[in-house]
Amino acid sequence: MTLLKVENLHVQFTTPFGIVRALRGIDFELDKGDIMGLVGETGCGKSVTGRSIMRLLDENAEVTEGRIIFNKTDLLRLSEREMHAIRGDRIAMIFQDPATALNPLFTIGGQINDVLRAHSPAPAAQRRKATLELLASVGLPDPAQMMDVYPHQLSGGQQQRAMIALSLAAEPEVIIADEPTTALDVTIQAQILDLLRTLQRERAISVILITHDLGIVAETCQKVAVLYAGRVVEQGAVAAIFAGPQHPYSRGLLAALPRPGSRGTDLKVIPGNVPSGLERIDGCAFAPRCEFVMERCHRLQPPLFSLAAEHQAACLLHEDRVHG
Amino acid sequence: MAEPLLKVRDLSLTYWRRTGLFGRGSQAIQALNDVSFELNAGETLGIVGESGCGKSTLARCLLRLLRPSNGSIQFDGVDLLALNADDMRQMRQRMQIVLQNPFASLNPRLKGFDLIAEPLRTHAAMTRETMKDRVAALLTEVGLSLDFMNRHPHQLSGGQAQRIALARALALNPAFVILDEPTSALDVSVQAQIINLLIRLQRQRRLTYLFITHDLSVIQHISDRIAVMYLGKIVEETSSEEVFAHPQHPYTQALLSSTPAPDPKSDRQRIILAGTVPSALNPPPGCSFHPRCPQVMDRCRTLRPELRWTSADHRVSCHLFDALE
Ligand SMILES: Nc1ncnc2c1ncn2[C@@H]1O[C@H](COP(=O)(O)OP(=O)(O)O)[C@@H](O)[C@H]1O
Ligand code: SF4
Ligand SMILES: [Mg+2]
Repeated sequence: MTLLKVENLHVQFTTPFGIVRALRGIDFELDKGDIMGLVGETGCGKSVTGRSIMRLLDENAEVTEGRIIFNKTDLLRLSEREMHAIRGDRIAMIFQDPATALNPLFTIGGQINDVLRAHSPAPAAQRRKATLELLASVGLPDPAQMMDVYPHQLSGGQQQRAMIALSLAAEPEVIIADEPTTALDVTIQAQILDLLRTLQRERAISVILITHDLGIVAETCQKVAVLYAGRVVEQGAVAAIFAGPQHPYSRGLLAALPRPGSRGTDLKVIPGNVPSGLERIDGCAFAPRCEFVMERCHRLQPPLFSLAAEHQAACLLHEDRVHG
Repeated sequence: MAEPLLKVRDLSLTYWRRTGLFGRGSQAIQALNDVSFELNAGETLGIVGESGCGKSTLARCLLRLLRPSNGSIQFDGVDLLALNADDMRQMRQRMQIVLQNPFASLNPRLKGFDLIAEPLRTHAAMTRETMKDRVAALLTEVGLSLDFMNRHPHQLSGGQAQRIALARALALNPAFVILDEPTSALDVSVQAQIINLLIRLQRQRRLTYLFITHDLSVIQHISDRIAVMYLGKIVEETSSEEVFAHPQHPYTQALLSSTPAPDPKSDRQRIILAGTVPSALNPPPGCSFHPRCPQVMDRCRTLRPELRWTSADHRVSCHLFDALE
C-alpha cells in the first residue's frame, strides 16, 4: 500500500550565480512498512527531496511543480500550522550529524520527555517509563543513566541512537534518514542499520533511507530509487535492480565499485562529470556521459518506462516498452 | 629476494595529554603500540581500521613528522630515525604523502602550475622551460589537460584536485607514496577513476604504496597485503586474498561482515559488534579487543596476545591461535 507518493517534484534555488534546478521532476512511491533507498552521488538531490517532504527547505528554495501525497493530502498545500502537526509527529527526519539535531542544552531524557508530553497527555511517571523503553529499544546501554546525560557526553553512534529514539517518541509513520551512518565507523554503522531494520520489522515504520552507498541499499532496503541530476533514473525492487540494472547510469555506478575479486582489473569508470544545476538540460541529463547515447537522447527527456511489475527506468533504450 | 624497501620494527608512539587543574597530571595515549611490518618495492600494503586506530599517526611517523617513542624505521637500508635534519629533508623527496582532502593540502592562492612546480623549485635547480615541460608531463600523467596549469583549487572538482595533489606528490619522482584515505571524500564514479590512475602510476613508475583507508572493498582492490589495525596495534596481516578468504582475527571478521556489500542476494551472516570503539586513552587490559569480541575467553581479559605467524603468509594477534604454538 502506498503511504507516501512524490509526483513530478520540481525544486529550484535562487543563488547569486543564477537559478539552480535541484529537482527536475522526482517521482517515487514509498510503500507502507518498506525501507526505500534514495541513492545517488553528491548533489543529485537526495537531501532536497527529503527536506521537501518535511517542508524544511532553505529560504531561497521554491517548489515550482509537483505534489507530495501523504494519506490522501498534498503536503505542499498544507498551511504551515497544519504541516507542523505532521512534521515530527507523523513524518520524522534524522540527519547525518546528530550533534546538530539534538539540543546541547538539554538531557537526552528531557528532550524525549518533551516530545512525549506534546504528543499525549500521559502522567509524568508513565512518560518516564516510556522514555526508558525508547532508550532501551534503540540499544543505548544503561537507559536509566542515559536519561540524565547531555548529547556531548555520548559517542557518535550513541548520539545517532539517541536521535532515533527522539524521532520515535511521537510514533511517526515515516522516518526519513539522511545519510544517518555516513559519519560513523563501519562497525557502528552496522549497528545503526540493524536498528533501522528492527524498527521497520517490529514497529512497521516506513523508512526513506538516503545514502550514497549502494552496499547500504543492498543490505537494508526493499526498494530503491536511483537519482541523477534531480530526477529518478531507475527505481524498483532492490533485488531486480542490483541483478540487472537497466539504466546506463545505475549500471555504470554498480560496475564502478571495487569488489572482492576485482583486484588486477580496471574498475569501470563513468567518464565526465555530473552536470551543474545551473546548466540548462534538454533531453536526458546523462546523455553527455552515456556510452549508449543516441541522437534523440539530446532532445527528449526520457520518462520512467515500466520494465516489469516493480522495475522502471528512464532511458530511451526502453522507449518501445509500455509507458510507465 | 630483494630487501624490503621499508622495514618497520616495534614502532610505538605515546601522546601525553595534560590533565588536572594546572596541567600537572598527564595521561598517556598509546597511539601506536609495537607496530612492525615490511613492505617490498613496487608493492602496496593496505592499512585498514576504524577512526582513532592509529593509521594516520603511523603515516606521520614514517615521514618523521612525528617522533616515535620507540622502534626503528629502515627505508631503503637507511635508518630514518638516525638521520639529521638535512639528510632527512633529502630523503623526504623519495617519500610523499597524499591526503583525503586535497583542498586542505593545496594552497588556494596558487595555480595548478605553481602547485605542481613548487617541490621542483625547492629541490631541483632547473630552467623555467624545463620546469614547464616537467609540469606538462606530470599533468598528462595524471590525466589532466594542460589548461589546468592556470586553474586555482576552487575551480577544481574533488577528483581533479586529487589529481593535482598526485602530480605534485610525483614531481620529485618518489619511490614511496603514502595514500591516506585518498578516495574517501569522492563519489563512486570518481573514486573508480582515481583508483585506476593510482594503479596505473604504480605500474609505470614502480611505486611502493602504503594505502590507508577504512574501506575494505577499496583496499582489497588495490593492495597486495593488508594489515588490520585496532587501537594502535596491528591485529592481523596477510595477503589481500587471504584476508577475504580466511580472516582469522574476530575483529577482521566483524569488519568484513560490517562492510555493506552491493549484493542483495548475499546471505552472509552478519556479525554485529556490541559497544563502541574504545579510546586509546584507556585501552582495555589483555587483548584490547576483548570487550567487543564475540569469542572472548578468560585469558583474553588479562593476557595480551602476541602478533605471531600462523602460516608463512599470515600473522594474527589473538588467543584463539595460541594452540598453534
Ligand atoms: N540552499 C541551497 N542553495 C542553493 N543550492 C542548493 C541549496 N541546497 C541544495 N542546493 C543544490 O541542490 C542540488 C541538490 O542538492 P542535495 O539535495 O543536497 O544533494 P545530495 O543530498 O544528493 O547530495 C545541488 O546542486 C545543491 O548544490
Ligand atoms: S536516454 Fe539515451 S543518453 Fe540517456 S541513458 Fe538512455 S541511452 Fe543514455
Ligand atoms: Mg545530502
